[in-house]
Formats: sequence, structure tokens, C-alpha cells
Amino acid sequence: MSAPGADALADARVRVAHLRQVRRLDDAERAARDALASWPTDAGLLCELAAVLLAKERYAEALPVADAAVASDPEDERGHRLRGLLLSMLDRHPEALSAAWTAVSIAPQEPVAGIAYTRVLQRAGRLRDAAQAAGRVVSLAPLSPDAHFLLADVAGDLGDTTTARRAYEETLRLDPEHAAARHDLAVLDARARKPGRALRGLIDAGRLAPAMTQVRSTVVAVLWQLSGRMRLWLVLATIAVLATADDPLAARIVGGVVLLLTAALGWWSLRDLPRGSWPVLVATVRTDRPLTLVYAVLAVCLLVLVAVVVTGLGGLAILVWFALVALGVLTLVVGLARTRRQRRSGR
Amino acid sequence: MTDDPLLTSLLAAVAAAPDDVPLRLHVAELLATAHRPADALAHCSHALTVEPGNPAALALLQRITGALTTGAPAAARTEPPTGPLPAPGFDWAKAEQQVSDIRFTEPAPSEDVGGPPTEDFRAPEPPTVRLSDVGGMDEVKQRLELAFLGPVRNPGMARQFGATARGGLLLYGPPGCGKTFIARAVAGELGAKFVEIGIADVLDMWVGRSERNLAEIFRTARRNAPCVLFLDEVDALGQKRSHLTHSGSLRNTVNQLLSEMDSATGANDGVFVLGATNHPWDLDSALRRPGRFDRMLLVLPPDARARASILRHHLQERPVAELDVDKVVKATEHYSGADIAHVCDTAAERALAASMRSGTVQALTTRDLLAAAREVTPSTGPWFAAARNVALFGNTDGSYDDLAAYLKRNRNL
Repeated sequence: MSAPGADALADARVRVAHLRQVRRLDDAERAARDALASWPTDAGLLCELAAVLLAKERYAEALPVADAAVASDPEDERGHRLRGLLLSMLDRHPEALSAAWTAVSIAPQEPVAGIAYTRVLQRAGRLRDAAQAAGRVVSLAPLSPDAHFLLADVAGDLGDTTTARRAYEETLRLDPEHAAARHDLAVLDARARKPGRALRGLIDAGRLAPAMTQVRSTVVAVLWQLSGRMRLWLVLATIAVLATADDPLAARIVGGVVLLLTAALGWWSLRDLPRGSWPVLVATVRTDRPLTLVYAVLAVCLLVLVAVVVTGLGGLAILVWFALVALGVLTLVVGLARTRRQRRSGR
Repeated sequence: MTDDPLLTSLLAAVAAAPDDVPLRLHVAELLATAHRPADALAHCSHALTVEPGNPAALALLQRITGALTTGAPAAARTEPPTGPLPAPGFDWAKAEQQVSDIRFTEPAPSEDVGGPPTEDFRAPEPPTVRLSDVGGMDEVKQRLELAFLGPVRNPGMARQFGATARGGLLLYGPPGCGKTFIARAVAGELGAKFVEIGIADVLDMWVGRSERNLAEIFRTARRNAPCVLFLDEVDALGQKRSHLTHSGSLRNTVNQLLSEMDSATGANDGVFVLGATNHPWDLDSALRRPGRFDRMLLVLPPDARARASILRHHLQERPVAELDVDKVVKATEHYSGADIAHVCDTAAERALAASMRSGTVQALTTRDLLAAAREVTPSTGPWFAAARNVALFGNTDGSYDDLAAYLKRNRNL
């Protein structure tokens, strides 16, 4: 027979856990605090409150709650795990490692403890140890998409793109709707200079999780990368057109070939895009003002080349050079400003 | 308000330092002594929220709840009891005595598990508000009339034009923009009773009980037809099942909701299901199929006329000197109704502080409100950041065309 109130306590724990799962974090926090007024030392409730505050990114506030949970039930793995994660988020890495290790020692067969330990190692910069720990988590839970995603993430940080790619693909095989895995795999594609595949993956990720805000910024980054390629190509093409500026026929032929090759290169780069992607890409370009300007100027450059083909005046290509120099300066300024802003926001 | 000057000053001090636990407890003591246990309870609860387990607060809470339940004066004991904490040393015998007149049923794994039917604790009433009580927001009202109220009022005509009165309506938009109020107004327009359901009314730790609660809620709505059943924050109840792989109970709740929506809108006339959510993109796609929430209505931050109405509403019982409503309305563009209320509260707090300092009532001015508007950041910003992504990537079937059009108008897309 359970003690009076035991059901109410269990109900309170389950309620907070459910509210946290459905991302009703304010309600979950309120429910946890209300319940703690009646059971102030219950480790389960304290862990739930710490988990809610962790999800709300209120790490400093959550840490004493996790401390209280550990003090209340030192044999429970979850309190140590939460402490480890919170200390890690507060950049107190040695203490975080110790707490996460305690959690793993208490429950060595528990994949969630292993995941937390790996994350703490990763954030502490011990990537090789993290990769080893992630491998152990995968062996503990080979059918868990989260375990493979963790391994992929750590391998990506280590620069082991082969393992990372394989692990992301395994994650997506186990959970085809894993938007984060799709996004991160697209980032690997972008780094491997496969912008078409990267954009395809990003559009998929955006459709799976439309509210995932980093998707748009990654698409913008890939489009900047594409514009860089285009500018490089136009620099070389303009040299060829200018070299034939004295002969109108030769300028026309070279201009035409450049335009054809530009179209072919564009098709080659973006051939992997799924149907219906263009409106998304155009709208994304429009959300980033400097990028809009870059693509508008690139379009003008192509129009200048069309003018060379029509008029035979190869000297017009010098305008493309001026435009490309201006774009180079713009890219540099925007890049510096954004790097500075990112540093300021601590990302 | 209170006539006691000491209490008035202390309440002002509490407003200035809401997390000062000893001060809160002192105020709660005074309120309890003044036979105002409900007010005292509010302060005591706040103190416990700030400092869970505070022994003095727990003792006071026990005393106040005792006074509230038995009607005995809470001021019988003015000193907090000493000794062990109430939690471990709780007097079960006394507690059982206090609740001896309540009938308990043993939990059983059958249909009889649980408390009384929903109908018994929720007596739905038709709301008195109408759409005309919603200030401004003409576009929303117009679309509501076309998409929902019109077909419901004229089912025959709607049928002739291939429209249907079946299916629910999903209100979505940034938080604090009046979705619940609009849902009430819809019920008022239809002359239907209004039942508001949140996740707390449904979730239960016992396996199968959440589904049963949901079924009971729909049964109650059908018994009370015509009835508007309003599912607030419906994304919590109907979250994508792929996100709930670790919780079979929540998945089953979504399944139950799907099944109830089918029966509520199919075989049962007179039940109008309205849902509200800030995150329609988190909703299980099955809930958006025909006959369920197949119509969506974007409820945006209030327009200028609505903002003026909201401002006037929040200032009507406050001392106001000169007020240039247009200026304040202009300064609060993209603010939600809740944000505007916050602006008014902030300005009022400032004026109150100034009044207390000077000893005379300092009425609110345009300057106070503009200063408060500068201080209060509109809470709709993060929502629009996510909404922009949704309009970019998640609008494959045109569900978010309204949103995309609004974002384009505001140069966000």
C-alpha cells in the first residue's frame, strides 16, 4: 500500500514530465514549483524542475536545483547527469566531467547517461574521448537515432567526415524525419563543395522542422558560397572576353561561350534541387539584403555579357570587373561585420 | 484596496520587490490577521515559489489553508510554529479528519477510474461577448465570417456553393494577441455554450486516463450542444506523433483527439471545435485533414484601431492626464495585446511610485506610456522569426499564405 500522497506525488512528476515533453515549459516550471511546495525534497521533482530550467536555458538557476536533487538522492543517476550538463553549459568543465562521470558510473548501461557524458566531453574540447564515448553509446543503443546523431556530431567536430556522414545517414535511416541530422548532413555537403545537394538537404530539413531557425541562415551561407563561385568564374570569363575585345566577332563568340558555360555550370551545381525549390531559394535570397544585392549585381554582369554578344563590344566586359571588385569589397565588409556580431553574441 | 496605511505601504513595497520573501510573509501575516486569507494565500504561495520549503511560509500556508477550508480565523496563531518541517511531520490523522466528509473511490483499472465526469466540474455557459466587442481586427473578423461563421449559419447555402460547415477552425498567431477572446466571441455569435480545455484538463498519470478525460470532454460538449469546444494550446494535445516516440501515453492522447474530432464534427451536430496555437507547425498533420482543423485563421498583433481600444481599456480605471492615443498607438506597432497591457502596467507602476514620493496623485501622461513602450520589448519578435522560416520552407500547400503575405507586407520575407 502506498503512503497517502504518493499518488499525488507521482502524478505531479508525470505531469511536469509531460508538459516538458510537449514544450509547455512555463507550465511545467509552474507545476514543478507548485508540487515542490508540498514535497520540497523529492529528488524526482527536483530533477524535473532542473530539466525544465535546462530546457529554458536558465542554467545558473537550475544548478542549485540539480545540487538539491543530488543531495536528496545521491544514488540516482539523473541528478548527476543534469548537474554535469548544467555545469558544462556554465563552462565549468572539470566539475561537469566529474558529475557526468559519476552518472555514467552509477548507470553504465544507460544510454542517456552516456549521451550526457559525451556531450560534456565534447563541450570540454576532449573530442577524441567524446568520439570513444559516442561509440560506446551507439553500441549500447544501436537502434537509437539519437545515439548515431551524437556520434556523427562528434565525428564532424573531429573532422572525420566519413564517419560523420555514415552516422548521419544511419540516423536518417532510423528516423527519416530527423531534421537536425538532415541539416547537419547538408552542412557536410556544403563543406564538400556540393551546393546543390546541400540546398536539397536544407530545404528538406526546413520542411521537416519549419521552426528550426538555423536552416535559413545555413541556406543563406550556401547561397553566399555559390555566389563566390560565380564571381570567380566571371573573373576568369571576363579576362577571356577582354582578351578578344579588339575583334567584335571573337568577342561575340567568346561572350556566347561564356554565357553557355555559365548556364551549364549553374545547371550542374543545382541539378540535385527538388521541384518547387526555386521559390524557396528566391525568397531566402530576399531575406538577406546584402545577398539580394550580390545576386542582383551578378544578374547585371550576365546582362553585360549578353550586351557583348549582341553588340560585339568586348570592352563592355570591363564593367563586369568593376562590379566584381565592388562585390568583393561588399562581401568582405559583410563578412567582417557578421563575424564581429557573432563574436559579440558569444556564438 | 485596503484602508490600513501600513498595509498599503507594505503592498507597494512588495510590488517594488516581489521576490523579497520575509516581506511577503510579513504582508501575508498581516492579511491573514485582517481576515483576508485569500489575499494572504496569494502572497504565501509566491513566497513558496521563490523559496520552496521555507518553513515559515509552509507553516503560514498550513494556517491559511486551514482558515480557508474551515472558515476559522487565520489569525488564531500569530507566531509560526517551531519544530520539524510540516512535510515530514505532517499530521495525517488531522488531515484525514479534515477530509473525512469527502467520498473517496479506490483507483481501479476499469472505466470507473478517476473523478467525476467533466460535465460535473464544468458548467458551460454561452459567453456574452460578441465579435463587435473585439476592437479593430476587421480583417480577422471578415475572414472568420467567410470561413466559419457564414457556413455555420447558412449550411444550406454553403452546401450549394460546395462549402461545408463541418470541421474545426484553428486560430494561430503570436502569443497574447487575443485568440481566446476571439474564440469566446465566436461562441457568443453562435449563441453556443463555451467550453475551454487546456492540456492540464486532459493529462493524467494513469495509463488510459488522459484519453478517457478527452473522450469525456467531447461527450460533455455533445450533451451541451450547441457548444463551442475550445482547445487552447492545441499543439500540446495534438503534437506531431513522430516527436512523441518516447511517450506512448501522449501518442495515444493524439490518437484519441483525432478520433474525437471525427465523431464531434461528423455524427454530432452542434459541436464546433476551435483550437488555438502559437505553433501550428508542431501540430500532427492528421489533425489538419478535412473534417478536423481544416480551416486556419491567422490572428495577428492588433492593428492601430485595436491597439487604441486596448489602450483605452487598460487605462479606463487609472488616473490619466493628457493622452495622445495616436502617438502611443504608433509606438506600439507589432505589440501584442498582452504587451500593451504590460506597457500600461509599467507606466502605472512608475506613476504610482512618483505619486507615493510626492504624496499626491500623479496622473499618467503620454510621456509615461511612451517611456514604458520603449522599455517593453514586443514579445512577438521570436514568434515572427520562426514564422518567417515556416513561410519559407513549410508553406508547400499554401496553408500559410496569409502569414507569408503579412510578412511580405512588413518586409520580413
